Amino acid sequence: MQAMREKTYVPYLFLFPALFGIIVFKLLPIFQGLNESLYSPTFLQGEKIFVALDNYVTLLKDPVFWNSVKVTLLMNVVINPLQIGLALLLALLLNIQLKGIGFFRSIHFIPIAVSQPIACVLWALLLNQEQGIVNSILVALGLPAQPFLGSSEQALWVIIAISTWRGVGYWSVFLLAGLQEIPGSLYEAAAIDGAGRWERFKNVTFPMLKRPLIFVTVTDTVINFLMFSPMYILTKGGPENSTNVLMNESFNSAFQYSDLGRASAIVMMLLVLILIIIAAQFKLLKPKH
Amino acid sequence: MKSTSKWLLYTIHLVLLVIVFFPLIFALVSSFRPVDDIFRYVSPISWRTFIPTDFTWEAYTNLFALRGYGPIVVNTFFIALTTVLFSVIFNSMAAFAFAKFTFKGSEILFGLVIFSFMIPFEVISIPLYSLMNGIGWIDSYYGLIIPGIANGLVIFLYRQFFMDLPMSLIEAARLEGASWWKIYLGIIMPLCKPVTISAALLTFIFQWESFMWPLIVTRSEKYRVIQVAISMFTTEHATAWNEMFAATIIAVIVPVILILLFQRYFVQGVANSGSKEG
Repeated sequence: MQAMREKTYVPYLFLFPALFGIIVFKLLPIFQGLNESLYSPTFLQGEKIFVALDNYVTLLKDPVFWNSVKVTLLMNVVINPLQIGLALLLALLLNIQLKGIGFFRSIHFIPIAVSQPIACVLWALLLNQEQGIVNSILVALGLPAQPFLGSSEQALWVIIAISTWRGVGYWSVFLLAGLQEIPGSLYEAAAIDGAGRWERFKNVTFPMLKRPLIFVTVTDTVINFLMFSPMYILTKGGPENSTNVLMNESFNSAFQYSDLGRASAIVMMLLVLILIIIAAQFKLLKPKH
Repeated sequence: MKSTSKWLLYTIHLVLLVIVFFPLIFALVSSFRPVDDIFRYVSPISWRTFIPTDFTWEAYTNLFALRGYGPIVVNTFFIALTTVLFSVIFNSMAAFAFAKFTFKGSEILFGLVIFSFMIPFEVISIPLYSLMNGIGWIDSYYGLIIPGIANGLVIFLYRQFFMDLPMSLIEAARLEGASWWKIYLGIIMPLCKPVTISAALLTFIFQWESFMWPLIVTRSEKYRVIQVAISMFTTEHATAWNEMFAATIIAVIVPVILILLFQRYFVQGVANSGSKEG
């Protein structure tokens, strides 16, 4: 099939509006951020001076920054396997034919309609220490009431739980679509070979599901490393900086302390951290040759 | 299937249903209570905790009459719908060029498109803020809408579909003397309604749910959108719980209806966007 070749300027006209937007609003800012990270604000309004890598050096010596690195890593070590594992289990469950399965599948679309900020506001009311329904239920069951977001030991776990509540349904959409593309004949062949349930999962389902699984793993990891709104809405990074992830620290640097240089340097280091982790995930999940 | 394992499956489904729905049903129920009742019946637990005895629309009327939710909802709709309109036009045009023309630089440019939608928004939000500040688009509809229009994902979805359209369709129209613009508008676009629905739906939900960008790029109440308004509620009117529940219901009900109504297109759009990796 021969694609069109006549007037050479025609495709560029069709491309122009979207490509202009992508270059100016998506790609240029990356370089601008890199550039911004090399400057520091001065006492004069709107003035900034070139400081080379000073912002990075200062960060590496800053215990607040290292605490944020620790919190970000701790959260991600838990949240990513948790969400991806549950999404896989949910997709497998929703793939089992059952009367009324269409209805059960639809249910899990509902949390997708609940944005991260809304989920946070809603759960904050339910988990309120004095007036929340969850503590009422705990007390009714004879259990002690919990401080939840008010405690530096629980806040991060509560945030993980809230975003898992709204995230799992979304990620399972990708995995369920992948499961449905696996031809039934593969399972029949495996059954003839006498493969058990676990062997069928290991030898048929899992390899066939690799593509959507890699996609979900990488995308979910990126999103969680950059998570910001729960901290902004629920804890402002507290109590005692226990939920002060890197993105929150960056936001505060930019909009509380007007230090765009520090904020950009944090984002750039976060970006490097994410790239390393994605590379490792690819290495782990990609089929071996 | 054995009936025991069948009942086990139904039990699991029901437990999940409760986990998903509990917060939302509780919010819905509480939004129809007078504010005092919420605190009165929450503890100890009784049937009154879950069923409003004095049903009232007070929370909703308060939101619209006192808290300015009328303009907030209109703003959010306006921003989302305008983005959808321009996004569908501009991105499908670009996809048409990528799918049906051979031209210099097409591979590099398409690479840029793919790269652009792997860059999460949060990474560019702060430099983008500086850029908007430079142009003078802070606190304006331009700042809220324009950066969201060009979208690599939407280009990708359209391109997938256009690639499968037979070239003969276009060649025939060319022989009859139709212009490229006419081919795009009169032949190609009417054929790809399913993609348009998927793309429009994903774009609408993305804009309806966006929080960090409106928070950064706007200051005045005039441009407030629903996600930002609700997050501010927690500090401004911390005790009006019935109104908070009502506000979350308003914010959730719009995408819920759209997703359930266009479920098929939603799943298609999501699944296709997931198949890009490989």
